[in-house]
This record gives sequence, structure tokens and C-alpha cells, in this order.
Amino acid sequence: MASNPQMPPQESRPNFVEESLYEVHKKVHPRAVSGVFATWRWALVWITQLVYYGLCWLPWNGRQAVLFDLVERKFYIFGLVFWPQDVIFLAILLIISAYSLFLFTAVGGRLWCGYACPQTVYTEIFTWIEQKIEGERNARIKLDAAPMSARKLGLRTAKYGAWILLAFWTGFTFVGYFTPIKTVWSSLWSFSLGPWETFWMLFYGAFTYLFAGHMREQVCKHMCPYARFQGVMFDPDTLTITYDNERGEPRGARKKGVDPQSISKGDCVDCGICVQVCPTGIDIRAGLQYECIGCAACIDACDQVMEKMDYPKGLIRYSTEHAIESHWGWKEIIAHIVRPRVIIYSTILAVICLAFVWGIATKATLRVDVIRDRAVLAREVEGGLVENLYRLHVINVSEAPLRYSVSVSGLDGIEMVGERVIEVPAAAARSVTVQVRVPPGSGKRGANQIFFDVKSLSDPKVAVHEKASFLQP
Amino acid sequence: MLRILWVLWPSFLVAGIAEGIFFTIVDPQELYLFGEPVHLSKIATYSIGFFGFWATCAASSLMTWFLQLGAAELNKGVGVTTPAGDGAPK
Repeated sequence: MASNPQMPPQESRPNFVEESLYEVHKKVHPRAVSGVFATWRWALVWITQLVYYGLCWLPWNGRQAVLFDLVERKFYIFGLVFWPQDVIFLAILLIISAYSLFLFTAVGGRLWCGYACPQTVYTEIFTWIEQKIEGERNARIKLDAAPMSARKLGLRTAKYGAWILLAFWTGFTFVGYFTPIKTVWSSLWSFSLGPWETFWMLFYGAFTYLFAGHMREQVCKHMCPYARFQGVMFDPDTLTITYDNERGEPRGARKKGVDPQSISKGDCVDCGICVQVCPTGIDIRAGLQYECIGCAACIDACDQVMEKMDYPKGLIRYSTEHAIESHWGWKEIIAHIVRPRVIIYSTILAVICLAFVWGIATKATLRVDVIRDRAVLAREVEGGLVENLYRLHVINVSEAPLRYSVSVSGLDGIEMVGERVIEVPAAAARSVTVQVRVPPGSGKRGANQIFFDVKSLSDPKVAVHEKASFLQP
Repeated sequence: MLRILWVLWPSFLVAGIAEGIFFTIVDPQELYLFGEPVHLSKIATYSIGFFGFWATCAASSLMTWFLQLGAAELNKGVGVTTPAGDGAPK
């Protein structure tokens, strides 16, 4: 129960506090910020969202380039087709993601949270819309406090309307990764979209709207499991957003250009802008706290103030615990990146990545399952031959229709009746029944090992040698 | 509200993982419902499956929430005052 929010008694709650989904909290109105890190964050917003909204429209070999076809149970990623049997690749991919996260976190702190997490990215976009419609921080605080009026109603309608449109588009795109997006698009306009597609579109859209529009930092603070355990990957050499306490304190207001030493103060002018820009509403000057998502908005904001004051930048900066203690520069910080934790994470990551690439490169393009027909054990056919029935399940994992030759071996006088050449369409499977016959005396009584050879007619390297058992009565 | 979210949110996350693993291994068309093959569309089976997982996980979360209630909360309403610190909610 350590995470139980400390609720102040009813009478001591300040007036501006609103009852919210997770805790009694002050609504955070982040002030817009510009600077190096804000530019990085916006670059990531653009990259991730161009990929997300755009990739599903990209055609490839006459189909959607990236499609997780749940109905056919096939995942298409550009030239690759993944079947349920390839689940190992998904597992490896998840392990790679986890180790990348560990590595980035150990070196650079919450880089994922600050720049790339969808929660951050969508909050950034939704806040941008809010700011364009309702104005900057002070205007928004005023508007919140103002009684309902025609103007407020208009602004609110415009803001929520824009949010809903974007959220809906996000939900539509989401569904478009599981059902071909062009089909979803055309059935959307002819009102013939399936009930479940409609449901998931609205479900995903509604959550985008709720999380990015209304819950924002509360998702990071109370709902994200990663935010709670990321601390264990930190060590004293991990880069975090740090306020230089020694340089900043004692803080206090002063006129522009005043030398801090002459008034026996630190460099912090206590303008509070670092708090105003913070999307989670914390004061970084109190030290590193789990609510800090590492977005570096306070660095950009503080640097601007320092510039105006003619003080050196970097009162709040990316630094490490050791660097602050020992007054290190970037050279020492970089030298300390190489340490056992980082080496271990990198080694594991490199090995898994190599295994993944090797696995993809050598992924079989043909799979054959041989199933003996259990209903008919063995029977005698014309000419006294003994016959067993088999079902060959041939899976063509490649992107082109292929013809395969089928042959059988392993017993004297063994022969096959049925299709000797089978054609399987691109990324599809076919089952064929074959009869295998041997003379009565061939092999021992009981089970005999035989082999099926399935070979591509166009590429002899694509071949499968599969064993089966032949029952001799 | 907070309690509802404590139950629904973790179960949502776990249900998502369970859904992914289960339907990777099992083809919905291989499922039988009361002895009859399932003849819903695959998307419908996946969706209903997800809500099934969610409900199951939520039941577990609900049980956890219920069992970790302190003595004070359980005694509330029967006129017994539990001393602070003895299982009282923090």
C-alpha cells in the first residue's frame, strides 16, 4: 500500500484541486517550451507518427507492407511472412526490446519515457492542439477558472472536437494494421464495417483521447509499470536530469545581470519556470524523483533563463550522481559509460540481435508436416502391394507461388501414387493425400522408417527431408 | 473509482499478454464450445477471448484487493474501533 496516494482531509484541500481518476491532484498546465531537447522530442513525434499513421498505407507486392492478419493468422512485414510457428521470432523481438530498454536506461536514464513513449508523444500532440486553441499556460488557467460563456464553450468544443478527430484517426489506423486498411477505409464509408472492427476502433480511439487528453502524467505516475521499476536500472553513473544544487543554491530573485556572488546567492533565480514547463508538475530542484519522465523540458526552459541573465547554461542539465559530486565534465561522464552493467547489457543484446538476424536470414521458406492416416493402418491393394496413406501438409512461406516435387524413399521397391508435383500459392499451405506402396516382403513387420523429399522445382536448395513411418503388417 | 481502476487496469495489461500467448499457440478454429466447434468469426473469437481473459484477471485482482483490506475497514459498521496501525488503511 506504499503507493496509496496521501489524501488530505476534505477541509484542507485547496480550492483549485479537482477530483481526478487516480488521486486528488492539481491539474498540470504545462507551459510551452522550445530548445534543443524540445526539438529532439518533436523530431521523435514526427518520426514515430509518420511511421504509425503512414506505414499501414504502404503497398508491397500487391498487399499491405505491414499487416498483422489475424484472420489468416499470418504476419506480413515487408518481404517476410510470419506464421504462428514463427512465434520464436516474436519472443526474441520482445527480449531485444527489453534489453534495449535496460541498456538505454542504464546509460541515459528515462530516454524512452521522455522522447519515444506513445504516452509522451500523444500527450505532446494533444497539448499542442490545446495550446493552439486555448492559448498559452496563463490563458488556459484563466479559461479553466472562468465561468461558462459562449467563448469558453466554443473553445472547449473546438479543442475536444480536434482531440476526438485525432483519436478517431488513431483508432482507425490501429485497426488498419490487423485488417487491410483500404478495406477498413472503404467499408467505413459504406457503413459496412464489421462490429468488432468498429468496436476496437472506438475502443482504441477512446483510450487515446482519455490518456493523452485528460489523464496525461497520471498514466506515467500511477499506471505505468515501467515507471515504477526503472529505478533499479539506475546507478550513480546514469545520466539523469539534474539540478546543480551546489551552483544554484541559495536561490532567490534578483535583477538581470547581477553577479550572484555579490548578493551571496546561487545561480537559481527562483523564477519557477522549470516547474511550469514540467508535464508531471514536479520541482526538479528537489532532486531526482520517480515522477520525472526525463523529458528535459526544464533543461530547455532553464537554459533560456540563464541566457537572459547572462549566466552560463546548464544549471539544470543531463548529468550523473558521480559527475555532480566530483564536478566532472562530459569527458569523464562519457568515460564512465563503460562499466560492468553496460557491458553485460550490451553483450547480451548483441548476441540476441545476431541470433535474430541469423534466424531471419536462414528462415526456412518451405515446411512440410507428414501425418500418417490413422484411420487406415495398412491395406493390400492390386498386385499384392501394401499401401499406407499419408497427408502431406506443405507450407510455402515464400512470397511467390512455387511448384514442388514429392518423392519417397527408404524401403526396397517403394513407390508413390498420387500427385508428384504440387503447386502451392504464395504464403499459403496445401494438404495433399499420397498413397505409398511397397511389395509385401519389403522391410520388417511393424513400423519402418521412410523418407519424404519435397523439393522446389525452381530452386533445388529449397528442400525438406522429412521422415515418416510405414506400417508393414 | 480508484479501487475499480486498481482492479481493471492491471488485469487489462495481463489479459493482453495472456491473449497474445494463447492465440499464438491456439487457432480459434480448433476451439470447441460445449462440444460444438466455435463458428464465430476469428476476430469475434479473439475479441471475446480478450474480454474473457480480462474478466478472469479482474476477478483475481478483485480478490487481492478484497483480501488485503485491513481490519479497520472490515470492522467498519459493527461499532468496533481498531487501534490505528493495526491493519488500518494507510
